[in-house]
Amino acid sequence: MIDNAVEAHGLTKRFGSLTAVDGIDVELPAGRIYGLLGPNGSGKTTLIRLLLGLARPTAGEAHVLGVRMPSRENLARIGYMPQSEGLYTDLSAWENLRFFAALSGNSQRAVMNEVLDLVELSQRRNTPTHELSGGMRRRLSLACALVHRPTVLFLDEPTVGVDPALRVQFWEYFRKLAAGGATLLISSHVMDEADRCDELLLMLHGRVLARGDGIAIRAQAGTADMEEAFLRLGGGEPEE
Amino acid sequence: MSARRTLAISRRIADLFRRDHRTLALLFVAPIVILALLGWVIRDQQLPPTRLAIINEAGAVGETVVGQLADAVAEAGMTVDERVTTKEQARAALGDGELDVAVVLEAEAAPTVRLITPGVQLSDDAARVAELRQTLLDSFDVPRIGVEHETVYGTSDAGFLDTFAPALVGFLVFFLVFVLTGVSFLRERMGGTLERLLGTPVRRSEIVVGYSLGFSIFATLQVALVLLYTLSSIEIPAIGPFASFTIGLGVVNAGSAGLAFLVTLLLAVTAVNLGIFVSTFARTELQVLQFIPIVIVPQALLAGIFWPVDALPGILQPISLLLPMTYGIDGLREVLIKGSDLATPALQLDLLVLAGMTGLMVLLATATIRREVA
Repeated sequence: MIDNAVEAHGLTKRFGSLTAVDGIDVELPAGRIYGLLGPNGSGKTTLIRLLLGLARPTAGEAHVLGVRMPSRENLARIGYMPQSEGLYTDLSAWENLRFFAALSGNSQRAVMNEVLDLVELSQRRNTPTHELSGGMRRRLSLACALVHRPTVLFLDEPTVGVDPALRVQFWEYFRKLAAGGATLLISSHVMDEADRCDELLLMLHGRVLARGDGIAIRAQAGTADMEEAFLRLGGGEPEE
Repeated sequence: MSARRTLAISRRIADLFRRDHRTLALLFVAPIVILALLGWVIRDQQLPPTRLAIINEAGAVGETVVGQLADAVAEAGMTVDERVTTKEQARAALGDGELDVAVVLEAEAAPTVRLITPGVQLSDDAARVAELRQTLLDSFDVPRIGVEHETVYGTSDAGFLDTFAPALVGFLVFFLVFVLTGVSFLRERMGGTLERLLGTPVRRSEIVVGYSLGFSIFATLQVALVLLYTLSSIEIPAIGPFASFTIGLGVVNAGSAGLAFLVTLLLAVTAVNLGIFVSTFARTELQVLQFIPIVIVPQALLAGIFWPVDALPGILQPISLLLPMTYGIDGLREVLIKGSDLATPALQLDLLVLAGMTGLMVLLATATIRREVA
């Protein structure tokens, strides 16, 4: 049994003179939802790409489910929803789902139907993706990340463009996944999603400023408001 | 390598083509339209009757020739403008496009006929000069050595199109497949789908092979259609007000259509992987098109389409030996014109080098995908 689903030790990524991720050390026990909060450009996406093995670290190392990344085989146990939609707009919703399911090695029709139901796209399964609205495409992108029943999920801004009612359903499903033992690292710059996470990692300038649940972080900052807490801890402006 | 993942990628390419009718048209209709147009222009072009003026600067000696010459050119279907009598008038008329050729009988020690043409369309000038030269030789009893021409390959009635078509087939397939793959893979890189692909257990080589396979299915169909149109010909009889016409170029084929297919397909797969490779260096679809003058046009000039590789000057010869199209076009000529088979060393070399270049392009394409995540 692996205690930590995700581990990073001294994880650093530099692009020329810019340090996008600056020596991050984290250990994330399995079966929980982690919120990666921070303004745009704080290093959230780069950190996720480093953990997935999609970017090579300048220094340090990342482990997912006890396996040092990058590991192609390990990606079969990981789900990734990138910030860009990453969908084939010429294919239908179902064809996109079937394609990513096949690549991840789990093409069970029942699971594909289940995730399509979850994102409320069953009625639009044959619609070409370019005819779907922005919110629908975001939902389909999430379905593609879930379709192979991953143990660890990296979701980069999954709720952007999703209407409030469906956002609630998303979080309920995330909670269900975590209850089943999955570990979710969800990036967001929307502070009001913070309280839905078990634990938060506040990021700024490539570093983790603070870690803890919403209550602990607010207490640390001495304020009842998460945005205010972020401002006090980081001395910066959270972006909307 | 996983066959399931590779086939999933190929299937996605097939789905793309199935949906994208414009791309299908580019693959299948465009080369046929280009070939048909070229065949029509080359085979059926007609030079309008030559309009000429005869200028006599040789005095009485010339006078004896003028009448005979006028009769000969009239018999050959040319028209003589009798209003033009001096070289200056002739030059002005040639410049204004009122004349095609001026025939000047010069007062030299030996009888000399000077032909003056506009010099704007050299192919047009050459055709008219050749026609006049033949008329002069036929009309005047000039002692000459009989020269007959025959060829080892092809038939006595083989025309320009028969030797040019193999090169054109290779070029068209390479060009269209290169552009399509380049743009298609660029979308993969820029649309975020490559990022997502690389977040799955798929190998980089599976992406490249899957792409090659997916495109090759359509390249195979394209090559088959292009070769069918090039090598066959069906005469459609006149119906009502419509004149009879021919579908297909009916190019003389001395060898195996299957071997020609193999050469063209290898060329197409090289183009697929070259397209993937080049897409690394582009950020927009327009930038992929900007590679045409860098990657395609030099091959068109140096690969032996218009002039033999052996005739290229200096450093250009070794450069041409590095280009896949050189071997593709030579291979097609070997098969279609010379009738070479797999026992022919020249064709073996073409196929071997093309296969090697295809392998090299697969490696290069794979390397560029690897660089994406470095």
